[in-house]
Amino acid sequence: MGYFGGEGFTGTSFVVNIPRERVGVLVGTNGSVKREIEQRLGVVLSIDSQTGTVVINLAKPVHEGGDPAALFKARDIVTAIGRGFSPERAFKLFEENTMLSVVDITDHVGRSANNLIRVRARLIGTGGKTRRIIEENCHVEISIYGDTVAIIGDYNDVKAAEEAVITLIKGAPHGAVYRMVDEYARRRKTGGLVRPF
Amino acid sequence: MSQETGQAQQPKLKWGVVHIYSSYNNIIVHVTDLTGAETIARASGGMFVDAGRLEPTPYAGMRAAAYAMEQAKQAGINAVHIRVRAPGGVKSITPGPATQAAIRTIARLGVMIGRIEDVTPIPHDSVRKKGGRRGRRV
Repeated sequence: MGYFGGEGFTGTSFVVNIPRERVGVLVGTNGSVKREIEQRLGVVLSIDSQTGTVVINLAKPVHEGGDPAALFKARDIVTAIGRGFSPERAFKLFEENTMLSVVDITDHVGRSANNLIRVRARLIGTGGKTRRIIEENCHVEISIYGDTVAIIGDYNDVKAAEEAVITLIKGAPHGAVYRMVDEYARRRKTGGLVRPF
Repeated sequence: MSQETGQAQQPKLKWGVVHIYSSYNNIIVHVTDLTGAETIARASGGMFVDAGRLEPTPYAGMRAAAYAMEQAKQAGINAVHIRVRAPGGVKSITPGPATQAAIRTIARLGVMIGRIEDVTPIPHDSVRKKGGRRGRRV
């Protein structure tokens, strides 16, 4: 709108830390993933591959047409890739009305390594059965990586999936959770989706 | 709006802070002066939609932001910092669905935008989440 940096105008940046082993995924072959994020959202990613620190800035200031909401999207996408999503699945977040939610398993169970492995195994199920059932019924993408479960999808869908995941972490039998997501899927389909959570 | 533009091109900017609190049940857009102690305008999602479940929707966020910023402009604010907040603490740390719509609306209104910050309170350690051992039972 023809504003040019008055005093006190400072750019805004978001900082995300991702595991070092995920830095390569975020950059992509010859920087392809990084470039796609930058071009589609109009942001600049500065990645420190030694520490895994990613600094997200708008490519051009707001008064020159930069979209401040893109910063939040970019942060979600970088976090999603850091939390184990492949770039293709993380790019679902480009769409409007999708969100990312990260559930920390250690919030709900202890930190003992054996316990974490057991809970993680319960979430994934034999050959990925449990994860697949939640993904299909709630129409979300789920990534279980390290101590976290990351969920991508529509707001209501993510809330429902999150509840299912937390119930499982807390020790509910699989059958009960399958029933829960099945009922959610039915309500979702019939449009009776007033308050899914 | 055109008068505002004229003013803003001179370095005479009157700054304000837009606090956006966005949860899964509502959105509150609150414009204050730079200290944060003086309210200039405020609006919530429930002022523009009737059903409770529509309060956190992008539409409500858009209307609330437009309404609050309109009042702020009349008070002479022509540059704002944006501080976005989710419930935080032991509750959700991701802002609700209305946030992005609200931010976009503010950006399109032609006020200058300074910093955009996420000020969600993140606990370093915290009390127990509500809901009890057996979780929320519906």
